[in-house]
Amino acid sequence: MVAAKKTKKTHESINSRLALVMKSGRYTLGYKTVLKSLRNSKGKLVIIANNCPPLRKSEIEYYAMLAKVGVHHYNGNNVDLGTACGKYFRVCCLSIMDPGDSDIIKSMPGDH
Amino acid sequence: MVKFLKPNKAVIILQGRYAGRKAVIVKSFDDGTRDRAYGHCLVAGIKKYPSKVIKKDSAKKTAKKSRVKCFIKLVNYQHLMPTRYTLDVDLKDVVTVDALQSKEKKVGAAKETKARFEERFKTGKNRWFFTKLRF
Repeated sequence: MVAAKKTKKTHESINSRLALVMKSGRYTLGYKTVLKSLRNSKGKLVIIANNCPPLRKSEIEYYAMLAKVGVHHYNGNNVDLGTACGKYFRVCCLSIMDPGDSDIIKSMPGDH
Repeated sequence: MVKFLKPNKAVIILQGRYAGRKAVIVKSFDDGTRDRAYGHCLVAGIKKYPSKVIKKDSAKKTAKKSRVKCFIKLVNYQHLMPTRYTLDVDLKDVVTVDALQSKEKKVGAAKETKARFEERFKTGKNRWFFTKLRF
């Protein structure tokens, strides 16, 4: 396996990039709005938590494949993803529509 | 970032009487209309799939088995599952929103799409579209 274990460094960098997006960009949280953003081609990057149910995960990945949008599998569950977004609730999937000052879209999308 | 709910896209209806049926998008209304303030599209789908035709069948039986029953419907995007398949059958002139206004216009439009679907089925192309989704 090429990327056997995600290093601490890249994990922190995703978190910091996400924090910047939360501050300066536009995003939506949650399965329904993620699909909506993919349908109207506003979403640019989709992040999915690792404990997302597999059917829902494949559905989001299929929509993202049709829309040619990158999907990032976050290394953490929905609780961690919610914390990374600075929220006090769980976030299973989120879609970034406008990254603001962050370079998350340029540096992340190769990840699947 | 690519729009994929475009005309000729094959989709699967997820809710309603036609749940599980395959359909093709004829016209899409991304921003909705005055009556329907949400993204929706006009689809033409298969109500009754053609049965399996075997070599042993006579010509009369083949004709009977290759019949397709169609429906025309305005469906919310939320109630569709898009697929990677497309079906390029020209239905724009036949399937229109005002064909849904009265029963006789709807029946006429459905008959015309039935004819076009059947001729496409008989050529053997788009095999996926004319097979029933098993679930």
